[in-house]
Amino acid sequence: MNLYMGKMLMVDLSAESVTTEPLRAEWLREYWGAWGLALRYYTDAVSPEIDPLAPENVVVIMTAPLCGTLVPLASRMCLVSKSPHTGTIFESNVGGSFGPELKYAGYDGIIIKGRASAPVFLKIDNDRVSLESAEHMTGQGIFETEKLMEAAIGAHGAKTLAIGPAAENMITYSMIGSESYRQFGRGGTGALFGSKNLKGIVCRGTGAVRVADMSRFLERTDHYTKNDLLCDDNLWAKTDGTPILVEVTNEMGIHPTRNYTKGFNGRKEQLNSDAIQAAKLGNRACASCPMACGKFTRVNSAEIEGPEYETLCLGGSNCDIHDLEAVIRFNRLCDDLGLDTMTCGSTISLAMEMTENGVHNFNLRFGQVDEYLKVVYEIATLSTERGRDLAKGAKHLAAKYGAEELSMEVKGLEMPAYEPRGNFGMGIAYATSERGACHLRAFPIFATDPHDIDALVSDVVDAQNANSIKWSLGFCDFWGTVNTSIEADLMSAGLGEAVSAEELDRAGERIWTLSRLFNLAAGFTAADDTLPKKIMERPLEGGRHEGRVFSRADLARAMQSYYELRDWSAKGIPSSRKLAALGLETTTL
Amino acid sequence: MKKELFANPDLCTGCNRCTLACSANKEGVFQPSKARMRVTNFPLRGFSVPNICFQCPKANCLEVCPTDAMFRGADGVVRLNRDLCSGCGACVTACPYGMVEQDAKGIPYKCDLCDGDPACAKECHSEALVHTTGDAALFQLKAAQMKTRHNSGTPLEKRHKVAEALKRNSRG
Ligand code: SF4
Ligand code: SF4
Ligand code: SF4
Repeated sequence: MNLYMGKMLMVDLSAESVTTEPLRAEWLREYWGAWGLALRYYTDAVSPEIDPLAPENVVVIMTAPLCGTLVPLASRMCLVSKSPHTGTIFESNVGGSFGPELKYAGYDGIIIKGRASAPVFLKIDNDRVSLESAEHMTGQGIFETEKLMEAAIGAHGAKTLAIGPAAENMITYSMIGSESYRQFGRGGTGALFGSKNLKGIVCRGTGAVRVADMSRFLERTDHYTKNDLLCDDNLWAKTDGTPILVEVTNEMGIHPTRNYTKGFNGRKEQLNSDAIQAAKLGNRACASCPMACGKFTRVNSAEIEGPEYETLCLGGSNCDIHDLEAVIRFNRLCDDLGLDTMTCGSTISLAMEMTENGVHNFNLRFGQVDEYLKVVYEIATLSTERGRDLAKGAKHLAAKYGAEELSMEVKGLEMPAYEPRGNFGMGIAYATSERGACHLRAFPIFATDPHDIDALVSDVVDAQNANSIKWSLGFCDFWGTVNTSIEADLMSAGLGEAVSAEELDRAGERIWTLSRLFNLAAGFTAADDTLPKKIMERPLEGGRHEGRVFSRADLARAMQSYYELRDWSAKGIPSSRKLAALGLETTTL
Repeated sequence: MKKELFANPDLCTGCNRCTLACSANKEGVFQPSKARMRVTNFPLRGFSVPNICFQCPKANCLEVCPTDAMFRGADGVVRLNRDLCSGCGACVTACPYGMVEQDAKGIPYKCDLCDGDPACAKECHSEALVHTTGDAALFQLKAAQMKTRHNSGTPLEKRHKVAEALKRNSRG
């Protein structure tokens, strides 16, 4: 087969069995790969009421068709399941090289179900696949686990997915790490592995990915790389990487500071791109990426690939921490113990505000470094009372102490580092994302008028559809100018069959809509398409949009217009006309 | 002046575009494991080493070949004449950098510098791989790399040892 490997790895941990199945070819032209295809497999395998941490739940890991080729920024791999953190359908994706390696080993994806009776890891050495005991890895951090799994395969350079103690403890915002500093970061992917007694996956693949016509494929790839990717709009990723956003969002007045109290951080210089450049040892890239947006930094003895923007803000400004070394240490602890830096940072900043407001004393204060670093370990290991409290995440922590008005999440997922009061588009994106507050579904921060609701609703809908297919083809967010015409041309050259931009557009909307159907069946309603109380009630302090709220009335107007544009009912339910147009009328959940 | 291939690990991002380009060029598929140069990654330490064939002036692979199948072309590149090759694998063992491997039929393959137009260097966007006449700094770098010789182990093990030594110099 061209581009695809044509085979899925089926792992049943309860039965201790690993088998292969042919790829469901009938789904490819509708769901394509990664997010879409994983979602299709997932919805086929489980019912929406499933308990995410039950053995019956399924985890689908899926590569994309262009993954493992020379097409740049197209090797991201997706994980789809129901999130133990939010209870929604959840897609998380990771860069690096695991995806390509899995394809070289001969598989498009892995479907995991059941629960092992004792800790195991999955060893994939081309067509030799086995479950191995992970008893000796129990309690180890991700970095050590990677080393042990690599040794088990006996070849330097094997690629890994691993969990740390946070995931073994099934903390609902634990993550799965890959190649040390890359993650299926959000939504508790780690707890899914933890609940299955699966410590990790190690993979070595020496096979090949094929394309229909190599010289045409290389010619088209080179054309778009030179004339579209490596152009002014995208080059920030190569020069600065995500830390560039520290200056950008401060300038816009949407840089969350002190648990989303302010939109501007007066001490940003210590965490901005210049600070990162000063600490940089080298640039790091995912497979096949010429941008290398990863900046490997060291301050004193603390080194890491990163920190990325979200961590610089949610683990930095938003906790009023301005010391790069401290943020690097925070980031490294999270990466090793297996916690999502975004949710972890956001939950700590909430505990800081609760302490300062006298709601409850966690001995965590804005700007206080020592306790901020100590509590990360306490969370991951559940070793103290406050650690166990913070391990619940923002929503449940706030609820426990009656401080709901301070919890900054949507559908239970803590907000990314873009302030919705200063940009209503981000608010609309957070309220309508299938996985709760997320910046990877729509990112309208550069809108001409950040408070023009109608224009922003339309931007958000377009971006959600475009990103649904973009993630399904494995593209990285940072090829910001890629579109379905480019995608279709590359897919045509690789497959040797004509693929049109229109069918990809429709697939994007189909994937988005199927996620919505899942959430509705899982019990979510239009009432969940909302924003945190603080955003709707408390005026933003500092920065360009000082004094703004995103009021309930504005939000209601935005949601009405969003549902109309999507041809969903006033209750947020897709119309049967829309379902028929997308070929979803017979898809049962 | 003659152009050579130089590798600078400090600039390598670990992207593997080079090995993808090489395998596409030489094998007609995307298969980094068959590339004629390789990248050794140390993700935890943020370091990657492009392992390349140096077309050694005193080439062990060529010297040990019992049938003269390995020879030096007029362009200075160390090449294989498949018709003369017995498949004994002596060259694989002899290369101290792990840069000769054998295919399923036992026939060795190695970098031929793409006849003077290296596909790998063209896909390297960080100047970790360059095809140039070289300057003092690059020649110094190459000399230091060529000193990291290893006489035992599989090609993969040798490449890893070479890379580990270069990493130690740069990252400790
Ligand atoms: S294959 Fe090895 S010994 Fe032969 S020329 Fe290349 S680096 Fe030197
Ligand atoms: S010069 Fe050509 S043959 Fe040698 S490693 Fe580079 S691409 Fe491969
Ligand atoms: S293309 Fe360049 S930067 Fe990328 S892995 Fe190869 S040598 Fe390193």
